[in-house]
Amino acid sequence: MCGIIGCVGHEGETTDVLVEGLSTLEYRGYDSAGVALGNGDLEVVKQSGKIDDLRDTVAAAGPEGHLGIGHTRWSTHGPPTDENAHPHVDCTGEVAVVHNGIIENYQTLRDELREAGHTFRSDTDTEVVPHLIEAALSAGAEPEAAVREAVSRLDGSFAVAAVIAGCDAIFAARNDSPLVLGIGDERDGVGQYYLASDVPAFREHTDRVVYLEDGQFVRVSASGWAVTDLAGEPAAPAVDTVEWDPEETGKAGYDHFMEKEINEQPRALRQCLSERVDELGGEVNVGDLAYLNPRGVQFVACGTSYHAALYGAQLFRLAGVPAQAFLASEYASAPPPIGDELVIGVTQSGETADTLSALREARSRGARTLAVTNVVGSTVARECDDAFYIKAGPEIGVAATKTFASQLASLNLLSIGMAPSKDDREAIASLRDLPADVQQVLDDSAAEEIAEAYLDSDAYFFIGRGLQYPVALEGALKMKEITYKHAEGFAAGELKHGPLALVTERTPVFAMVTGDDEQARKTIGNVKEVEARDAPVVAVTDGQSDVERYADHVLSIPESSPRTAAVLANVQLQLAAYHTAAKLGRPIDKPRNLAKSVTVE
Amino acid sequence: MSIQTAVVLAAGEGTRLRPLTRNRPKPMLPAANRPILEHVLDALVDTGVEELVLVVGYERDRVQNYFGPSYRDRPITYVRQDKQLGTGHALFEARDAVDGPMLVVNGDTLIDPTIVGDVADRFAEGDVAATLAVLDGPDPQDYGVVDVEAGVVTDLVEKPDADDYRLINAGVYAFEESIFETIEATPRERGELGLTDALDGLIADRRVGAVETDGTWVDATYPWDLVELTREVLADGVPTVPERERGVWVAESARVHETATVQRPAVVGPDSEVGPGAVVGPDVALGRNVTVGANATVTTAVLDDDTRIGPGSTLVDAVTGQHVRVGAGSVVPGGPAEVRVGNEILEGRPLGALLADRVRAVGNVTFAPGTLVGPNARLATGVHASGYVPEDAEVRR
Repeated sequence: MCGIIGCVGHEGETTDVLVEGLSTLEYRGYDSAGVALGNGDLEVVKQSGKIDDLRDTVAAAGPEGHLGIGHTRWSTHGPPTDENAHPHVDCTGEVAVVHNGIIENYQTLRDELREAGHTFRSDTDTEVVPHLIEAALSAGAEPEAAVREAVSRLDGSFAVAAVIAGCDAIFAARNDSPLVLGIGDERDGVGQYYLASDVPAFREHTDRVVYLEDGQFVRVSASGWAVTDLAGEPAAPAVDTVEWDPEETGKAGYDHFMEKEINEQPRALRQCLSERVDELGGEVNVGDLAYLNPRGVQFVACGTSYHAALYGAQLFRLAGVPAQAFLASEYASAPPPIGDELVIGVTQSGETADTLSALREARSRGARTLAVTNVVGSTVARECDDAFYIKAGPEIGVAATKTFASQLASLNLLSIGMAPSKDDREAIASLRDLPADVQQVLDDSAAEEIAEAYLDSDAYFFIGRGLQYPVALEGALKMKEITYKHAEGFAAGELKHGPLALVTERTPVFAMVTGDDEQARKTIGNVKEVEARDAPVVAVTDGQSDVERYADHVLSIPESSPRTAAVLANVQLQLAAYHTAAKLGRPIDKPRNLAKSVTVE
Repeated sequence: MSIQTAVVLAAGEGTRLRPLTRNRPKPMLPAANRPILEHVLDALVDTGVEELVLVVGYERDRVQNYFGPSYRDRPITYVRQDKQLGTGHALFEARDAVDGPMLVVNGDTLIDPTIVGDVADRFAEGDVAATLAVLDGPDPQDYGVVDVEAGVVTDLVEKPDADDYRLINAGVYAFEESIFETIEATPRERGELGLTDALDGLIADRRVGAVETDGTWVDATYPWDLVELTREVLADGVPTVPERERGVWVAESARVHETATVQRPAVVGPDSEVGPGAVVGPDVALGRNVTVGANATVTTAVLDDDTRIGPGSTLVDAVTGQHVRVGAGSVVPGGPAEVRVGNEILEGRPLGALLADRVRAVGNVTFAPGTLVGPNARLATGVHASGYVPEDAEVRR
């Protein structure tokens, strides 16, 4: 899990381009960072700590060059130390490499290189790469051939970029980790080009990109770029134009990206639903997916996306289609039988390694696969048979918020589109009301006062039933991620089967009670159970039932349908977690030990 | 144009437009299908402004989450004015976000690029430290009025008693960066500081230039003025939405049933739906995601985002806030009417009904001319509403 960047053609400002690029990749990891600049010689500056620290160091050291590579790290092999920070160099200091992913055969390679006399300075898997390149160079290979030879020895997942002293090009290769080529200004045979794990890293400079494929190799220098396969055969990749606005990564007057992203949910939902919902016609538009008619659905996902998947599976079941949600990491190790099922992978980034391998497992056994993702051109979108985009726009806060809401809205569209049922008209009307209903929650929420009231609690519990059960899990995950407080979500009916033992007067219980049906009445019964144990109760309710009588606090949502009530209740829980974390002074956008998209298994 | 930066004052609520301002400031109220502020930003960008500074305060979330970090690729810096202590104080809050000369405009008054360009050109003549636009405006007693001699302001009076002034201050300015020192040196009255107070000294020194302009300038004083704002915008055309036929703009993502009629001038915003047999227009703006049900009629009206009009309803001279729901068979028969605003009684106003954000009229509700309904009020089936219905009220037959 890491972010990499490279650039050529920015003589005199290479360091700035690299460091600015890295700061937009910080969501991929931020425990150490570094750059290598090429200008005849190589100059490497790297250290543990955040990118702001690196910025200060390079400002003092002042390395400059006509090309360079950079890296921001999230530790997998070895702790975050200066030595373990990338770029890594060979014995001579003439080769520097940055890497994202995991090299599975690094121990074998390391032993072999050590035996040949190479000295290793770090604990990382990455360091084998510069030494392999050094070995090939000293055996007489040209720079490009040396990098190709080194890459051909690697097993595992990687996006690597290498620079070599005295060579005017950057070499890079990709296998199972994201890598994008950016094509900037080209004038008189001299151009500005970029390599990065993700588009925002160079979006300030260009909107023209090539999404590299697994097994591709790229050489970029100021005189041009060339993509080949590992054997050296030229590839003819498509040049895409990205639409995202670089300024969208600004905080727009909010204190945190997470706060901005919570507040822009109405806009994100409008984008998701636009042109896909036809209320007067009583239909949704999901394109050709409407004709898939799956006999059954298996969802695979991780983290927040898994909670969306649990919700999506319920929607399909409500429409009469057998459906289950699986944790992607478990699915890959112990897959269920697959017959005619459609396998749907839900991943915000489209690069989540666990989800990708679960989908590969499903595909290898003949299943049709569908990606539900936010990132156009991401690995999952390219590997699956079909992709459905949630259109939430870039999300920078590590804790997913607006993308969860847009995932839920997208899963509604997919379930209505693929599995029509008699309740569709009501569902479609409630989806059209959803952006405004979310705005109402944002305008009138009492979550900040509740956060204040329960700031020094021992733990936070969340209970819900039916479509509110995934919301209970998600509410707890959000609370854990950004407040570092203990939090758990439970199916409301499960409380009495064990977790009730944890409930005390110092553990507030958030209960989602919407509508006034049998489900709501049963959950109110569970509320009474915790109330009897003196736990404070925060009811998240649309006011249809009498749960307010048993609650210490109320978080109100507008009346809507059961499916949209889940989205609305979740907004209240996002706000409760956000305000709790803000009052505790946590680093909300970059919680400890976490990274935005997890590209390792 | 040489001025790169514009400061837009968008922190005030606009109390006379209550109850429409319950959840957002006046700059975010609609002129046709988009907020007034968006038209203001268009005027600035169209005249070459590269950096936008928005001073926000009252319900600032709504401004920030609508525009985000940039508008038409021009970066936006948001500056908070936590207490609304006057326009001079608001501008002063932006001092760290501005380098060099700047344009300053109000975010809640509809303007076009002509006014902005006229001010910038006059300022560029270089003989003054500040420039403001003046125009032959309506109701001078409601605004600041200006005397001008040879392109230089000689007198500026806020809300004069006498009506012997002709020119009003359009609230579009250009300043040198030194305006911040001038503001800082101006004494406050009861903690408040108007921008024009800070100009008194400069005017006495004959250092404020004036340019008389005939650009578009429309201010909404009362809620029903939003209809006039819409008419003004539609007369100039709607740049963000394709013109389906002359005077009829329909967003690509909108759906208008083949048996529905849209009469010019009218605009149908993104994702809106107009059902079979419905009639929309003339002089109508539907915002985003608005639904007009089958056989409903909407004439001379502004229906803001997410509003839903049930089948068979009739709305004439109506203004709605956001997410208003009017059930089937409801009737707003139209003005003119006597309207009560605060302690004032205003006669002969063109208002059928004003429904603030999230009003819900369940069905078969009729509205006496001039009815004002506060936010979140719920009117049960068959109610006849009149006068003023307060916020959160539940009205049954």
